[in-house]
Amino acid sequence: MEAQTDEKLMEAVAHGNLDMLRILFERHHVHVYNFLYKMSGDKMLSEDITQEVFYKIMKYRTSYKNGKFISWLFTIARNSLNTHYSRVKEHCSDLETVQVLEKEKEDFTHLHSALEKLESSDREVLILNRFQEIKYNELAEIMGSTPGAVKTKVSRALKKLKRIYFENI
Amino acid sequence: MDENHIVALLPDYLDDALGQEERAQLEGHLATCAACAKELEEMKVLFEAFGQEKGATPPERIKTNFYKLLELEKQADAKVIPLNTPATEKRNWTKDLLRVAASIVLLLGAFLFGQQQQQTQSNKEIALLQDERQEIKETAMLSLMENKSASKRIQGVNYIEEFTDPDEAIVLALIDRMRYDANTNVRLTAVDALGRFTASENVKNAFIAALKTEKDPSIQITIIQVLVKIQEKKAVKPMQELLEREDTQPFIKEQIKTLLPSIV
Repeated sequence: MEAQTDEKLMEAVAHGNLDMLRILFERHHVHVYNFLYKMSGDKMLSEDITQEVFYKIMKYRTSYKNGKFISWLFTIARNSLNTHYSRVKEHCSDLETVQVLEKEKEDFTHLHSALEKLESSDREVLILNRFQEIKYNELAEIMGSTPGAVKTKVSRALKKLKRIYFENI
Repeated sequence: MDENHIVALLPDYLDDALGQEERAQLEGHLATCAACAKELEEMKVLFEAFGQEKGATPPERIKTNFYKLLELEKQADAKVIPLNTPATEKRNWTKDLLRVAASIVLLLGAFLFGQQQQQTQSNKEIALLQDERQEIKETAMLSLMENKSASKRIQGVNYIEEFTDPDEAIVLALIDRMRYDANTNVRLTAVDALGRFTASENVKNAFIAALKTEKDPSIQITIIQVLVKIQEKKAVKPMQELLEREDTQPFIKEQIKTLLPSIV
């Protein structure tokens, strides 16, 4: 059972075998959480959105169309985070969120701090590609781009990061 | 080979994701170009930092919460979505029926077995409890009958109603109450209580003895009624004696006169 591919499992879930979603959750929730945490620097928020992501997968399981599960998963995660940010911008003053971030930033590693200084779209591809080990093909699906374009984006983002990383070391 | 192109290849080179040809070309260039070699070294350091970066561990509650949601969804799902498409249903019809039958048999069997187990168990428990209750009640009754308060003693005497087959010790204690209790009401209640146990020789003898000593008319009347009811022949003589005694209340004599002939 454990050796089943994500896609087979998700297909089973889509056909009503909800228990298979446990395996998918076990496999991926830590990655989703870490993606969100590296993007937001906010543990509570990452927790909430991780939960939301898997809840959405469960709710919209029938809309899964046999693509790469990983791409689908991170597309949902990414959209959920963006939705959250646009909602925060609408309703709250930025001051509050900034304060939360400053507190947690003290624990950041040098690399994490360097990532923080990147533009969010650069940070995103690096986190997905380097930490979550998502390959260019899947990354392209998530970003709605082509593998070649994504590869170039990753390479440029790495170059920017490298400069920031060695500037402040 | 232009340098931008080389730099773009470095990540894949470090990931060991280059084809043999590209790899050879790159290594050839790196051997001659110090700038690109430095670039590679820095990229290596950066990649090591990525590798060393520890992932955060999400709290366990994410999992428990999600599993709860999943269970809820499963329950909701069971109500809405049909199990099979008609085609497969047809093929498995007999199989399914057998399965259903088997599970019903299993369920029934388990239920009956469990029920029987429980029955035996509870029977044992009830017997134990009754044993225990009998003892507790006896103790309660005996101690209540020794209480200073007359109403408590009456309560203790009335406890006899809880017993179908009381201990002889209880009966003797009741007789004691009837004879010696300072309060008439307690004694009267004891007489009433003992009236239920006239099968006991002790009770009969106590009643007969009380006929000779008892001075309270209401107690005398109750004892007389009980003794007549059970047709106790040994009671005839003491009743006749009562008739002859001067201190016997007239209405008691009246009562004895009407009842005595009924003892045959």
